[in-house]
Amino acid sequence: MGNWERLVWNQRELLLDGFLVTLHVCALAFAAAILGGLALCLVRMHVRPLRPLATLLVEFFRATPIFVQLMWVNYVWPELFGWPNSFFTAGWVALALQSSGYLAETFRAGIEAVPRGQREAGEAVGMGPALVMARIVLPQVALSSAPAIVNQFTVIVKSSTLVSVITVQDLMFQSQKLVNVWYEPIEILTATAAIYIAFVFAVSACGKRLSDALRRRFGIGSG
Amino acid sequence: MFSQALRESVDLSLFWDYREVMLSGLAFNFHVFAASATAAIVLGLGAALLRVARALPFRVLGTLHVETFRNAPDYIMLVWVHFVLPLLLGAALGMRIEFHPFASAVIALGLVYSGYYAETFRAGIQAIPRGHLEAGRACGMSELQILWRIVMPQVVRRMLPEGLNQLVSLFKATTIVSLITVPDLMYRVSMVTATEMKPLPLYTGAALLYFAVVWAAASLVRLASERWRQRILA
Repeated sequence: MGNWERLVWNQRELLLDGFLVTLHVCALAFAAAILGGLALCLVRMHVRPLRPLATLLVEFFRATPIFVQLMWVNYVWPELFGWPNSFFTAGWVALALQSSGYLAETFRAGIEAVPRGQREAGEAVGMGPALVMARIVLPQVALSSAPAIVNQFTVIVKSSTLVSVITVQDLMFQSQKLVNVWYEPIEILTATAAIYIAFVFAVSACGKRLSDALRRRFGIGSG
Repeated sequence: MFSQALRESVDLSLFWDYREVMLSGLAFNFHVFAASATAAIVLGLGAALLRVARALPFRVLGTLHVETFRNAPDYIMLVWVHFVLPLLLGAALGMRIEFHPFASAVIALGLVYSGYYAETFRAGIQAIPRGHLEAGRACGMSELQILWRIVMPQVVRRMLPEGLNQLVSLFKATTIVSLITVPDLMYRVSMVTATEMKPLPLYTGAALLYFAVVWAAASLVRLASERWRQRILA
């Protein structure tokens, strides 16, 4: 047990710092993915001239491996667009791209599932298209997409381990740094793997409970 | 500056110059993919059978397998299998063991995706009406015969669309094996970038090549799944 104490417990501050960076990256990526996914989906459905572009972006984000996207954003975007200008930004932007593609498709399915009559009813009582979207369509989409949104968050957490490759100092980065200092990978890497597995498990368990509770409370047929 | 950079990134001739290196790298992605897909499907079926077993210890073991590997990030598993597993095995067997990067890649991806496959198999197995199993027993089939002749044909039929989608995800995941020096396409790109100092066309070329492969595969899967569903539901 001495090894565990020396290599893991005594390094808890470093590992905790790393974990906080992981949380930070994931939170930014998650927020950006939801906004980006919504934007891509709305453009694809309602802005006719931009539809092919939005479709292409969704397909590209979905069909390109996350590691490739990360390297692409990190090495190519700064030359192409002069942005992002830090590894941290490149990390969460790349994570957000992939998930925004998946979420755009989820949102689209959710929007298409809202019966036409409901929109027409909204328009009949004098609501504008934006108000119909905000008050009638999107709340139902949020409800029906909740499980997929939670799932995307776990995907982001899992993929976030890769940002250590571009030297973002997340949990994975700190643990590999410790391995390089001590040359004793067993305890450090096992503990790191356990932390990630427990965190992803907790996120998906809580997320499932939350989306079930939402559905019971607000879902059609909940009375 | 922007237009010049754009022209440079669209000008993929540098990537084309290295096409043989790049394609032989892509071949490594396919090798890792084929080997780890086989491992994932076999292990996944094993874990699913454990999860639906009658004895509690088997069920616990199966659930542990699924929850561990389904929730583990690919990258940490890859690093763990490559750097920790050989030490543990070596200590247990009393000798020095090292894994070839290719073997580590196959074991790690095989384990992670076996967690996903186990759930797909389990859903398929549990969807089979009890009466089918009882009918099999009634005509004197052994458990193995029931599994092979009654359960599996229905499971495969039901899980095919999802199983194929998971294969596509697995192929995407093979890009990270470059991080433990399996010489796949991403590894070649980083090596060539180190000598040419031109990441722009090289990484763009790699992204487009992967996109073409994955998009074509995903589209085929979508088409096949639609047809398959129509045939099954008809």
